[in-house]
Amino acid sequence: MKPELRRILFAIAVLVWAAVLLYFHASGRITKYLAPDFRPIAFVGGLGLAVMGLFNLLTARQQADCGHDHSGEEGGHVHDHETSDMHPITALLLMLLPVGFSVAWTKDEYSAAALARKGLYDSPSQASPSFLANAMPPLTREEIEKSHRKTPEGFYEFSLMELFFATGDRELQTAIDGMKVETEGRWIEEKTRNPNGTRKRLYRLFITCCAADSRAIPIILEFGKAPPDFPENEWMKVSGTMRFPMEEGILHPVLMVEQAAPTEPPYEESFMRN
Amino acid sequence: MAVHAGVGHRLTGGTGRALLCAMSADSQQDFALAFLSILFEGAPFILLGTLISGFIDIYLPAGTMDRFLPKNRNLAVVVAGLLGAVFPVCECAVVPVIRRLVKKGLPVSCALTYMLAAPIVNPITALSTWKAFQGQNAAMMTSSRMLLGFLIAVAVGLIVSRISITAVLKPKLVESLEEPEKASSHAHHHDHDHDHDHDHDHDHHGCCGHDHDHDHDHDHHGCCGHDHDHDHDHGHDHGHHHHAPSGDGKLVAAFRSAMKDFVDVGVYFSIGVSITALFNTGIAPGAEWLDGLAGSTVGAPAALMVLAFVLSLCSTSDAFIAATLDKFSWGAKLAFLTFGPMMDVKLLFLYQTVMRKRFIGALAIGLFLAIGSITIFWQQLVFDAK
Repeated sequence: MKPELRRILFAIAVLVWAAVLLYFHASGRITKYLAPDFRPIAFVGGLGLAVMGLFNLLTARQQADCGHDHSGEEGGHVHDHETSDMHPITALLLMLLPVGFSVAWTKDEYSAAALARKGLYDSPSQASPSFLANAMPPLTREEIEKSHRKTPEGFYEFSLMELFFATGDRELQTAIDGMKVETEGRWIEEKTRNPNGTRKRLYRLFITCCAADSRAIPIILEFGKAPPDFPENEWMKVSGTMRFPMEEGILHPVLMVEQAAPTEPPYEESFMRN
Repeated sequence: MAVHAGVGHRLTGGTGRALLCAMSADSQQDFALAFLSILFEGAPFILLGTLISGFIDIYLPAGTMDRFLPKNRNLAVVVAGLLGAVFPVCECAVVPVIRRLVKKGLPVSCALTYMLAAPIVNPITALSTWKAFQGQNAAMMTSSRMLLGFLIAVAVGLIVSRISITAVLKPKLVESLEEPEKASSHAHHHDHDHDHDHDHDHDHHGCCGHDHDHDHDHDHHGCCGHDHDHDHDHGHDHGHHHHAPSGDGKLVAAFRSAMKDFVDVGVYFSIGVSITALFNTGIAPGAEWLDGLAGSTVGAPAALMVLAFVLSLCSTSDAFIAATLDKFSWGAKLAFLTFGPMMDVKLLFLYQTVMRKRFIGALAIGLFLAIGSITIFWQQLVFDAK
């Protein structure tokens, strides 16, 4: 293949990656993929790729002299700084096909099967302590009422993360047990420990760096009767009394629901490291 | 090169089609989210690494590195292990570089030490590892990776310094090292005046533009791209021959080199991220089996070293993959991050351009056992103690 054509193909591959990075940033969808401190890096990376791709595309036909000798080159035509490991077409396909398919397939969220793999049905005590050790906000019993806003209906607003981790913190658990709380998250089927069909699950993702390393942070919703019908993954605001019953030898965070209604998703749908 | 192309065609061919057909809509959605998130996270760091590598490739003469090394053989190996901090290159770029350096007279032990250490002990890899492990023992993982990479590389260098280069290098490369010596002694015998301009020995016409004041025995016909394997270095600065190109020409060449490196690394990164996304979301067959090994003291680092070998990731971006393997211990992740940049499928092919197959086999087994043992010990001594 002619060097000019190879440069053009490589520049196209680089520009496609740049376009994908910049598009996801500009559209705001990047918030579903990366933790906040990685987003500007991705943006700068997209700009850098665009500059490199455009520069190489515009100078593809220009003669360039690196100033080196190139021992062992066949016929002096193949330039040592540009010979690639693969045939350019193969390289182009391998760079573009996975990205292309992913952009076409993504819905910016995981399916229930992937969520199950990411801990949706794990009890809090099964969550890796090293994974989320830094995520717990400092919270004592005295601070609970001061640091949590009370709704007009008398429910304290809690993040799902606090309710989830209270299960593993004896002091916090005792303080919260029996409290009237309100929290928000995504609505999903309860597939375990639901013999009477009276339960649902509420979850949010916790992202350390990117969506691939995310973990599900769930609590159980107990209705005491058939739960209302809402679409899977709908954002819900749920209020009720918090309990931590022991089931099959494991403590579980269970919210005895009094009110449940759809709500707008928050700007940051996932919990982030910072 | 043919092998690489074959691997690529197979990956884009039957396997890919079978996987695509087997994936449900849910699986496609899961794969896409995991794939794009790792890609977005890692691509800027690959760009940074390849830009630096591209500019080093064009602007830095090969002889520059020799001047940093002390005369003492052991000390030279130790310093070679740290040169990546000054000349940061990833493992793909380092093999052609050391091939050139060995031809130019850099001791093989120092070249191999630099080859193994530079992809790990360099600021770009340190930065990407630290960013990837934010909130997950970042400082400990980064420092452990640098230290282990350095120690292993120096140990290999010290061993290599005590064995014959014929057991390490390909016979052809050894011959190319011996030929200049013979030619050199011959030239010295007949001509002791190296201050003279030897341009009269050559047959240059037109645009070569190299400084050939001290070249001997060339057979030049035409323009650039000449074989200068028999160039001599009589204690002068002959590390690299230079034209006097325009600044624009060099800039274009540097960007081309950077783009070529980016595509080379990007291809493997794309394959690696695809496989990781399949395992990460449980789509790949064997994902459960791999998870089952996560709790094993010996099996976990062994499994991740095999995974690193297969994925062939660049050291500037592999930390972003390792950070997603949350079921595995820190020690196993450290094994992944240390073994991968030293030995993987693509390096196996690249190493064969420099080293004997038997030596590569011994190196692979030695690295696997040494890194595996140390990381198991490291897990118990450092990470478990925290």
